[in-house]
Amino acid sequence: MEAYNAFAVSQQQLDEAAGILGLEPTMHEFLRWPQKEFTAHFPVKMDDGSVRIFQGFRVEYNMARGPAKGGLRWHVQETIDTIRALAAWMTWKCAIVDIPLGGGKGGIICNPRELSNGEKERLARAYIRAFADIFGQTKDVPAPDVYTTPQIMAWMMDEYETIMRHHHPGMITGKPLAVGGSQGRDDATARGGMIVTRKAAEALKINLSGKTMAIQGFGNAGQFAALLGSKLLGLKLVAASDSRGGVYNPKGIDAQALVDYKLKTGAVGGFPGTEPISNEKLLELDVVVLFPSALENVITKDNAANIKAKIVCELANGPTTPEADKILWANNVFVIPDFLANSGGVTVSYFEQVQNTYNFYWPLAEVHKHLEDKLTRAFDAVYDMHQKKKVQMRTAAYMISIMRVAEACRLRGWV
Amino acid sequence: MTTNCNAFTMAQAQLDEVADLIGLDAVTHEFLRWPQREFAARLPVKMDDGSVRVFEAFRVQYNTARGPAKGGVRWHPNETIDTVRALAAWMTWKCAVVDIPLGGGKGGVICNPRELSNGEKERLARAYMRAFAGVVGFDRDVPAPDVNTTPQIMAWMMDEYEVICRHHCPGVITGKPLPLGGSQGRVDATARGGMIALREAADALGIKLAGRKMALQGFGNVGRFGGLLAEEMLGMKVVAVSDEFGGIYNEKGIDMKDLAVYCDRTGSVVNLDGTAPISNKDLLELDVEVLAPAALENVITDDNAGSVKAKIILELANGPTTLKADKMLEDKGVFFIPDFLANAGGVTVSYFEQVQNNYNFYWPLPELHRRLEDKMTLAFRAVYDIHVRRKINMRKAAYMISVIRVAEACRLRGWV
Repeated sequence: MEAYNAFAVSQQQLDEAAGILGLEPTMHEFLRWPQKEFTAHFPVKMDDGSVRIFQGFRVEYNMARGPAKGGLRWHVQETIDTIRALAAWMTWKCAIVDIPLGGGKGGIICNPRELSNGEKERLARAYIRAFADIFGQTKDVPAPDVYTTPQIMAWMMDEYETIMRHHHPGMITGKPLAVGGSQGRDDATARGGMIVTRKAAEALKINLSGKTMAIQGFGNAGQFAALLGSKLLGLKLVAASDSRGGVYNPKGIDAQALVDYKLKTGAVGGFPGTEPISNEKLLELDVVVLFPSALENVITKDNAANIKAKIVCELANGPTTPEADKILWANNVFVIPDFLANSGGVTVSYFEQVQNTYNFYWPLAEVHKHLEDKLTRAFDAVYDMHQKKKVQMRTAAYMISIMRVAEACRLRGWV
Repeated sequence: MTTNCNAFTMAQAQLDEVADLIGLDAVTHEFLRWPQREFAARLPVKMDDGSVRVFEAFRVQYNTARGPAKGGVRWHPNETIDTVRALAAWMTWKCAVVDIPLGGGKGGVICNPRELSNGEKERLARAYMRAFAGVVGFDRDVPAPDVNTTPQIMAWMMDEYEVICRHHCPGVITGKPLPLGGSQGRVDATARGGMIALREAADALGIKLAGRKMALQGFGNVGRFGGLLAEEMLGMKVVAVSDEFGGIYNEKGIDMKDLAVYCDRTGSVVNLDGTAPISNKDLLELDVEVLAPAALENVITDDNAGSVKAKIILELANGPTTLKADKMLEDKGVFFIPDFLANAGGVTVSYFEQVQNNYNFYWPLPELHRRLEDKMTLAFRAVYDIHVRRKINMRKAAYMISVIRVAEACRLRGWV
């Protein structure tokens, strides 16, 4: 999936922040590596009667602040280094939004497109059988991620409960509502992005009402960003794109109608009343807010100078390259970094676990109120650091996360 | 113990060869080529000077179809995950050949124990247990002493585990000191197991051992007890002994008790009164009934295998014979008792220790010896039987039995 080594990148990011923070060498070294890693080979029976051996991983990057939290990826090109990097990023993400969880990630090397439903179920159960010892609501809590679904979470929960011989819905999140899922998880990432965008606009003294937004990527996060951007912030959607191209109308696009159209046709292209626009052009539109919501590395040194948005809210992971970051910073484009902008997802995952643990479920309004609280505080802390230290928002966010994790390690007497 | 070649590649190649011989189905073969579960952790440990060092640690549970994983914890500066994998595989085969209901495991910490104070060792031992408490246990995975780890370290680990689990659980680890649930008879267990296998081999081959000669290469724990027990149990005379400093020879026999006292005093076997010096090379080529390599790997090679005159080679050490030498010995009709059968007495008594811990009732030494006798005798006979029936060498026969037993357990569990 990547020509670069994600783990090397995550270590470099830590190194940079550690340098600014003056982190002592032992703590720095300790945070550069996962605390614990687990690998298993497990046999799974296929529908045709044959058996296949799959390799699975689980990394618990740092658990000083709480049980590890992070998704399970099912991917043909999964590697331990990708999982290490993603587990590190989960550590910083949970810390930035100040939820009492550490960072984790897991994966299985497999091609889910080749697996029947029955095979997927057996694979999910085999994974839990291999790792049941290390999971648990007070130890390590998986969640859906690349190619894993609420149904897969339900199978995993069931297998875990069978092994443990008691109910234990908080051992995994992203479950379907009927078996302990939380209200408000479907739009949680986008909603969190809207909260921090609103905060950013307030800080920059921009009135968002009636202003324009462009959305690159129209999957789950992009679709909900379109809906919530207009509903919560009064933003006007002028452009949206997916992998096949984009649509543009400077007078505004009806977000709900566009989502319905995308769900019906599978693409945004050809939506009535719009003109086509390329992904590249969309990024350079003169809008107030730009939401990169698809892939990594879309804002690069090649196009960063042309970005005209006042606020870039990174709903996707890693949309901006480090070189582009510097250009945006120089041009006064305000970037809300990915692991703050899209932390609404893990925050509601955490809420799901909280509700599971005390077996009492919140109405939607209560979930929204708690999400609002968490993200508001997270934004304030990062913005404050950004102002005081005169560093980019991304650097500020890293600094806060690492300080929080390091403090927990220190208080525990680890380093 | 450290190898220049990749030990895990070697372990996989050995399995591949046996898989062919027994016609193992492809999936079971693939499954057995890899560890079932591996765990890695970084352990921050406070040093005496107030600094903190982060150590990398491993635990591999190679296969647990036949029972909880069993295997030592090594502390070594050159430890690698592949070495631990290979040793965990070999533990799987060793436990299976001696037919104890345990799987194979191994663990390690990358560290230089010579640089660590006692306090630092204790904190490292406890940190290891804290990291892996979730995966070890008397009914899951049971560590033991290994390279650079001692009964005292086992005691610390047991203590840490019991604190974490909040109950007594001495069976979580073996090789403990006697007052904390260690077993009688562990000190000479490996050598004693080897002598039992040797006696069985001589019976099977119609060779009389009493009064006959043995040459012993290596005089560490195993060599020392090997020599002593060869005299006591089998009535043999040990005519030559060597260590890393040199060798000694007396064709009338060397008194093993005297030699042990001498070696404790001088640090070496060299120059014991009434013996002539002998080189390692000459020792290996002596005209004796039994040659017992009890030191390092790769001492019988294609260079000297042709000159070996012993009728039986008892591999008390791990891996003393190279693959090429194996073939040459086989062609010459030298009978060898392969390492993981010959030195399985150690893990067998570790298993007995655990059994006694689990039912909290301790056996007197004769009872322990009787049970060791049973296990080793049965193991030898099973391997010898295959060796005769299939006309393959003892090492291949032992591998075949082990792999067949492990594969059968996997199959019965419905895994493959």
